[in-house]
Amino acid sequence: MASETPALTGLWREAGQARAKEARLEVDEAFIAAVLDAEAHTLATAPLRDADVSARIGSIARRVTFPDGSVFETKDNDGIDRLLRGAGSRTAGVVSGLEQFRPRLIAFVLLTIVFCVAIYRYAVPALVEVAIWATPPAVTTAISQSVMVSLDNSVFAESTLPEARRKALSDGFSQLSALTPRGETQTPGSPAYTLNFRRGGSIGPNAFALPDGTVVLTDELVELAGSDDEIVLGVLAHEIGHVDHEHSLRQLYEAAGTAGLIMLIGGDIGAGTEDLLTQGAALVALSHSRGAEREADRFSVELMHKAGRDPAAVARFFELLQKKLGDTGSDDFLSTHPATPERIAETRRYAKEIEAAGK
Amino acid sequence: MNATFQDQMALSPAAAPSSVTREPFAFTGTAREYFGIWIVNVLLTIVTLGIYSAWAKVRRQRYFYGNTHLAGGTFEYHAKPMRILVGRIIVLVLLVAYNVILTVASVYGIIIIIVAIFAVPWLIMRGLRFSVRVTTYRNVRFDFTGGYWGAFRAYILGGALIYGTLGFLAPLASQWIWNYMLGNLRYGDRPISCDPRLEKLYGQWWLPAIVFVLGSIAMVALAIAAAYLAGAFLPEGVLDRLDPDNENGFPIYVLVGLIYLGFIPLALMYMLSALLYRAGTRNVALSETVIDGRHALSSQIHRGRFAWIWFSNLFVTVMTLGLARPWAAIRMARYLSVVTWLDTTGSLDSYVSGLRAEGGATGSEFLDVEGFDLGF
Repeated sequence: MASETPALTGLWREAGQARAKEARLEVDEAFIAAVLDAEAHTLATAPLRDADVSARIGSIARRVTFPDGSVFETKDNDGIDRLLRGAGSRTAGVVSGLEQFRPRLIAFVLLTIVFCVAIYRYAVPALVEVAIWATPPAVTTAISQSVMVSLDNSVFAESTLPEARRKALSDGFSQLSALTPRGETQTPGSPAYTLNFRRGGSIGPNAFALPDGTVVLTDELVELAGSDDEIVLGVLAHEIGHVDHEHSLRQLYEAAGTAGLIMLIGGDIGAGTEDLLTQGAALVALSHSRGAEREADRFSVELMHKAGRDPAAVARFFELLQKKLGDTGSDDFLSTHPATPERIAETRRYAKEIEAAGK
Repeated sequence: MNATFQDQMALSPAAAPSSVTREPFAFTGTAREYFGIWIVNVLLTIVTLGIYSAWAKVRRQRYFYGNTHLAGGTFEYHAKPMRILVGRIIVLVLLVAYNVILTVASVYGIIIIIVAIFAVPWLIMRGLRFSVRVTTYRNVRFDFTGGYWGAFRAYILGGALIYGTLGFLAPLASQWIWNYMLGNLRYGDRPISCDPRLEKLYGQWWLPAIVFVLGSIAMVALAIAAAYLAGAFLPEGVLDRLDPDNENGFPIYVLVGLIYLGFIPLALMYMLSALLYRAGTRNVALSETVIDGRHALSSQIHRGRFAWIWFSNLFVTVMTLGLARPWAAIRMARYLSVVTWLDTTGSLDSYVSGLRAEGGATGSEFLDVEGFDLGF
């Protein structure tokens, strides 16, 4: 056996010492490895399986570390692999074998692209669903309460709407929320959705929903709608739609998942490319939030129709917004809910379709 | 820190100038070889949903260290993948917890941010220590002896100083950072000193500062000119289509894309300024780094060439959907090795490792995951 494997030449160093000695490594029939110097004195010896042989990477030098801490270093990668295989190792050089510059790397490139697309298209969305399912209600409640407290402290003031108007809107809201999937299973003590009136201050005519079902409506929006409660309820149904589809949690988890993926391969793609990917992910998130708006619009149409109200109310609201506010570009409802003509047309079309089907 | 520096000052004059040998660094990695390592790293990382990334990091680091030669010896990276994996998991859990707490209890956000600010120097200190202690050259370990407050001064105070003075005191922050990173290193049991002088750092500050200011002015002028020309020469109606409320307007991604397109020159200019500064301060800091009071490092990056390599690397990487990344990484490593050398006085053979445990990898993975640039 020893005759089949010629000795490997290299350098030997004592544990932690810089000074090197020219040496050769030999392995006998019993797989005992020995490092010998030029005068054939044994410098270190141990059973091969007790020595730590570094994995092969490219053509960098291999290190055989003996139990006494001394190190034999050689550039003869093939020689080391022959020794290891001779000693019965099956895993020696498996990964480095894959890494060789061969045509099959083209297949690896294609596989990588396929996996990237698959992960992005299927694995991330699936994981997001799992995360949403696993999120305890206590967490969504805590998130929502803490957002409310922050806004109450900074932006909002108490509502100045007349009591009667608030009552009318609250009744309409309760009717709507009772018709939702969550509303059907709610108990009188803990409603699925709660409506809160606030004076919006700097956020102006606005309405938004928090993931636990808290819906906030600003006085300014009600005033904008004039005496038309139907329009306001159309907007509230839209906000309920966001909660029903769990949009805010979903966007939170999507952003976290994408960021995590980018971080994991960050070291392999370089800092500049990583920054570009992060920017790209922000663009994608923006387009997702557009999709969420469309979903909530459709939800509003369906819910309003179910409640026997005007299914196109939310479309009427957008038209009203456009007419009254124009594109002032301020920090209002429009900035997150762009009232594009396509959107109004699509909502109206869907409302007609629903009504026609209902009759 | 100061004591070790004085030790060396006392030692240096003893060295006779005649015995100085210039030892260049050399990098022998090739794009062909690294491409295979890289694509397998990326593929296995994806297939294992990130778990392999720890093994990938070790293979990548070992490849780059093992191909870096100096005076007949090479560097070695000894971190254990399992350690790295545990560190990564802890960092991931910490980051998730941080963000969840910020979202769930945004009322107490300010307290959580303050806690994080005080935790970061600790993570940096531990991260540097780990990365340094798993590195050997000629079988002799490096050590890192920096403490918490040194990291706090360099990274927290230094960072605040840069932003607070609009970059005017950036050289002072650079001095703290380099002094902390390199001045706390030890090779075996021998100290390394790094005391970049402030006036030299300021010498590297003017050019990037001027590039930044003039570039910003030029961008604004260009934007105004473009808006004017567009108003004057574009056919009627094209500008109206940029309005998001326009019925026949461009789709939203075109609008957002245009906004990004406007920001790209600005971002590139900012990057150019940052790259010139980074290269310049690396030259100053490395050239004032002395190992064991005898061996002097030296760095002579050509700033323009460095910026060119960086930008063209990024461009080619993006154009090839990332496939040219291995080539780009090797190209940069090669360039940096060519412009770095060590002026040795006496033998490099007499060094012996100090024996210190490297500790956990949490800090080093924090630096990694956050894209923290050690700047070596």
